[in-house]
Amino acid sequence: MSNQIAILIAVFLFPGGLFALALGLGLKGADRRVAARLQGRVGPPLAQPFFDLVKLSFKTSMVPTTANETVFFGAPVVGAVSMLLAVALVPIAGVYTPPTLLGNLLVLLYLLMVPGVALMIAGSASSSPYGALGFTREMMIMLAYEGPIVLVVAAVALHTGALQGGVVTFSLTEIVAYQRANGAFLFDPVMWPAIAAFALFFPANLGIVPFDIPEAETEILEGPLLEYSGPALGLFKVMSALKAVVVLGLGIALFAPFGPDGILGLVTWLVEILVLMLLGVTAIRLSSGRMRIDQAFGFFLKWPLMLAAASLVAVVAA
Amino acid sequence: MNILASFKNVAVKSPWIYRINAGSCNGCDVEMATCALIPRYDVERLGCQYCGSPRHADIVLISGPLTRRVLDATRRVFDEVPEPKVTVAVGVCPISGGIFRESYAVLAPIDQYFPVDVNVPGCPPRPQAIIEGVAKAIEIWRERL
Repeated sequence: MSNQIAILIAVFLFPGGLFALALGLGLKGADRRVAARLQGRVGPPLAQPFFDLVKLSFKTSMVPTTANETVFFGAPVVGAVSMLLAVALVPIAGVYTPPTLLGNLLVLLYLLMVPGVALMIAGSASSSPYGALGFTREMMIMLAYEGPIVLVVAAVALHTGALQGGVVTFSLTEIVAYQRANGAFLFDPVMWPAIAAFALFFPANLGIVPFDIPEAETEILEGPLLEYSGPALGLFKVMSALKAVVVLGLGIALFAPFGPDGILGLVTWLVEILVLMLLGVTAIRLSSGRMRIDQAFGFFLKWPLMLAAASLVAVVAA
Repeated sequence: MNILASFKNVAVKSPWIYRINAGSCNGCDVEMATCALIPRYDVERLGCQYCGSPRHADIVLISGPLTRRVLDATRRVFDEVPEPKVTVAVGVCPISGGIFRESYAVLAPIDQYFPVDVNVPGCPPRPQAIIEGVAKAIEIWRERL
């Protein structure tokens, strides 16, 4: 019984649900504000994404006459719920350990793919040609980044397993615990290519320039999101805010779980996630233009895949 | 009621903007897109954001004298903007037709066809004037929420 309550708290209050949503929206706000400052503008207030969300809840929802209404409204719900569960699976070093009942790294990996699929379904259900274009692009970019991220996770799992004397461990809790006892993988040369591959993975997964090809505003008018309005669009915003927390949190858990126990650990984690957001997302977003889908596809099958494979080979050979 | 009012005060800080070019010569659009609204004068500090889709928009900026050819298309795009919305007519063309005023191809003034809330005259209007127009539109929008 207490186990179930712990899971409910983890999913809806901390670190999932309210906490993650506030953090995700705050990160988006920080991203937009810093971006504006770097461009010499004033920029929106930090809480802007939160204002946007409240605003969207006041608007009417319109459905295209040719759309399948159930699927049209189902897709954002599925996406947001999957991310709600995924946040509860990401450990925060020294502060939060996910309940084993919820699942392990493999479950998290599957959940991470759900928002992309939700976007694809949304795009095709909206029966808009731009949505369909977004669908194909989302599918291609998913195919491209899926391979590297699986190899990265496999490399970390094998590495931890080997160092602990076992074969492989897919428990994020164990991976974090091992790093806290023996030093983070950030300082392990074997893991450096994997870290680089992961750094390239998250702008693609979060749909940020140069990899925001499925939602390109200026060419396909936000693709799958084109037909959405009001609360349903708000759910997509919630989904992407939570996804930022999940992906950045996963990166920290896999490679750099520093920080002491208790409140200080949480503060360290928050600082880490903010730095990662500003360096890994804002800086990249502002300093590059959007790739074409074929360029992005080729890029992911070349560099990140090679880097991830290099780490994996090094781990296996060691 | 009080909670609803405070939520509305929050919601009003996030007006998203959509531009419709109803046969404009592009002068006003250049002022809107590249001068007033994004890099130099930055309406993003009012919480505004350009959106690619009319379905995400709250404030519609219409420029141009509304040529006969685009009437139908403009109407259809305008109807795609979900309520509550506010319309701002940018430039002198939507008011009187501007330099195109006696043309057979032009339907200005556009308030015969669209419920215009704010007029921003000028050929083209100064960026400051456009931002003031958007700020006025936000005031009107607050009452409609």
